[in-house]
Amino acid sequence: MKYSRALVASILLVIASACSSSSSTTPSDSTTARNDATPTEITLLAYDAFTPRDGIFDAFTAATGATVKVVTGGDSGVLISKAILTAGTPEGDVLWGLDNTLLSRAQKADVLTSYEPVDYGDICVNYDKQWFVSHKIAPPTSLEDLILPAYKGLLVTQDPVASSPGLGFLLGTIAHFGTDDWQDYWTSLKTNGVHVSPDWTTAYTIDFSGSSGKGKYPLVVSYGSSPPAEVLYAEKPIDTPPTAVVESTCFRQTEYVGALRGTRNPNLAAQLISYLLDVPFQESMPLSLFVFPVNKKAMLPELFTKFAVAPTTPLTVDPADIEMNRDTWLNTWRDIIL
Amino acid sequence: MERHHPVSKTKTLLIAPVVFLSVFFVVPVGNTFLRYLRISELGTVLSNQSLRGVAWFSLWEAIVSTIATLVIALPVTWALSRFTFRGSRIARGVLTAPFVLPAVVVAAGVLAISDTRGVAPIIWAHVVFNTSVVIRIVGPRWTMVNHRLEHAAATLGARPSHTFIRVVWPQISEAVISAATLVFVYCFTSFGVIAILGGVSRRTLETEIFTQAVRLGNTSTATALAVLQAIIIGAVFYLTRRSTRSPSTSLHVSSPQPLHTKPHHRATPLVFTAITTVIVASPLLATVYRSLVVNSQFSFTAWRTIFSGSLPALSVSPQSVITTSLAFSIVAACFCVPLALLATTASAPRALFSLPLIISAATLGIGLIITFNTSPFAWRSERWFIPVIHAVIALPLVIRALEPAARAIPDSLRNASASLGASPFTTWLRVEMPLLKPALLRATGLSVAVSLGEFGATSFLSRSGSTTLPIAIAQLLGRPGAATQQAGFALAALMVLVTIGVMSRA
Repeated sequence: MKYSRALVASILLVIASACSSSSSTTPSDSTTARNDATPTEITLLAYDAFTPRDGIFDAFTAATGATVKVVTGGDSGVLISKAILTAGTPEGDVLWGLDNTLLSRAQKADVLTSYEPVDYGDICVNYDKQWFVSHKIAPPTSLEDLILPAYKGLLVTQDPVASSPGLGFLLGTIAHFGTDDWQDYWTSLKTNGVHVSPDWTTAYTIDFSGSSGKGKYPLVVSYGSSPPAEVLYAEKPIDTPPTAVVESTCFRQTEYVGALRGTRNPNLAAQLISYLLDVPFQESMPLSLFVFPVNKKAMLPELFTKFAVAPTTPLTVDPADIEMNRDTWLNTWRDIIL
Repeated sequence: MERHHPVSKTKTLLIAPVVFLSVFFVVPVGNTFLRYLRISELGTVLSNQSLRGVAWFSLWEAIVSTIATLVIALPVTWALSRFTFRGSRIARGVLTAPFVLPAVVVAAGVLAISDTRGVAPIIWAHVVFNTSVVIRIVGPRWTMVNHRLEHAAATLGARPSHTFIRVVWPQISEAVISAATLVFVYCFTSFGVIAILGGVSRRTLETEIFTQAVRLGNTSTATALAVLQAIIIGAVFYLTRRSTRSPSTSLHVSSPQPLHTKPHHRATPLVFTAITTVIVASPLLATVYRSLVVNSQFSFTAWRTIFSGSLPALSVSPQSVITTSLAFSIVAACFCVPLALLATTASAPRALFSLPLIISAATLGIGLIITFNTSPFAWRSERWFIPVIHAVIALPLVIRALEPAARAIPDSLRNASASLGASPFTTWLRVEMPLLKPALLRATGLSVAVSLGEFGATSFLSRSGSTTLPIAIAQLLGRPGAATQQAGFALAALMVLVTIGVMSRA
């Protein structure tokens, strides 16, 4: 009895392994060559929303002989946490997408050997143009407007603990009102009925009235590049976006690209970083990633020059200040809102 | 009654499942705790007023959600496991479909209908998610309750309520408690539903563990909370444990009866099924609605886009997303179901195989990336790794789906088969397997469902070109533009339809 049961067990295991091997031989399962003398593959670690244009790395492969393997896993917060947890034995060679609110965490944990700004954009209040027309109210033009009775119960933002636009908006209010007065502003925002959603998706696609969700709130914290995205990905072709940006509320978000400490291919990593900063890739970013290029030579597409907003003097907070005060600010914010 | 499998004979069967669980679960989780757990942090966490509030909310919302789920799911479980009628398969598929959906899709559906946030929509969403757990755990056992006993009780003058309490309940109670425990655990560790429907002020231990570990970088606080969570869930398992009782001989293998053969009370099962289907399916219909209606206008654009083979803004095709998801779920089932069968046959210690349920997803996720990082165990970025972890996560659930049915097979049947000269293998193949077939099918369905919808521990793993359905949906919904969002809902609706198709057969 014992042996026949063991036999059954082994049969089942054979079936299991057969099942597994059939799937692990899928074509994209390329073997890594990180130990080879001439590396033929370099891994770019990025957030889930990193969707570069198809074939954009072909020129890099042609020039260096190495293919770029894009590996994604989570949002930028998850990415930096994983990079810190795996410091020294990184999951890739180059890290894409830490922003100025997270950069200091990476510096403190010493996960990058070098880093450079690669793109920027702004986190701004967006509004539903149609709603303000049909309600015969002028859209707000400043952060101060948002606490006026006329705009009561109209704004949805995101939890700054969990969401990067939420954090950007909070930092923008801190930059504008100063470290002593921002709490009063948020108390007034709360009195004026600000709604806090857990993340961007919920706020924009469910709560906001100006996009597909037709929610209750005509004001939402989103990006300065959201209006061109509304045009590019409209359900039916449209000439102008249904949404617009309140420029004075914009907080500057800069994203960085860096080589991970522990990479086996430091030279190739440096080459990839130069490639990402070079004109062809930089020009591909606006319509694939909805960010502005840092390379001054890169030309912007018409959709961006017409509808995207990137103020010349956005709100900013020094990354070192963010790192030093983030926890205190978040806890104070929680005390005010919760 | 004497049981005829001494421990020594079945122990060898346990080797595979135990090794599997140890390598892919115990070691990584142990690694996280060893590296980040500080005993002093436990005290800090326990003395923190706001974290105590989080634990209390997790506990009571989970208890209320569990009770609500049982009240709504048990009648329909009875209807679907005792009778077949026109539409019963579809109903089973519909009721199981939400289990695989990303929380944002179900929550969006609930929100579209209820239009409020708070505890009530949270409970509704939990009922929507967990009804399938009850159907799949309790259903197989209920099917095996001998009809004749109930008829006999009725003939002897027992009221239906009396028959249920005295005849049926003793035979299904174990499965019901098992299902209730699972539902409790799922509600207690609920993440997305709470975040979206609760607003920022409602936090559970699971959301707080993620916040502390990932958002704030306080891995020590997060692991301390994970220990607290494990203690609470472990205590619930301990309280609801049942010593293995000798199987009741009154259980037998039977199939659901065609409803039209029952002249009396024909309407009751249909009414139960209809009510529950409305409760569960309405948020799903909202998903379909949002995939078809944009700016108050009806449009097939999103569906055309999907069937034309492209997704707006993403560089993967819908076919590859669906293929990846299905391949992962099949591979996961290939690991999970045989291992669960071995564990069940060998009467595995349940506590051991409950471990994946009591440890938070973030803890496992962190363990995986810090453990499988060096050669020859540098598996964390391998393609096969994701379905293997799906299998680990599904294992407790699949074992629970198999256990009641496996235990209900009377030893007398095995003995009879042996005395007629059948080898143990023949007995297993010809006697036990046919009896287990319905339970095996349901268990496979559960494994596939867990794998299709898994968005916890494996979202910590990095992926290259292996976008799964929940990730693609999250990506599409996570971008501005009506077309991307509509495509996200269309993909979710497609997932609902595929699941209904698969589950109404399993």
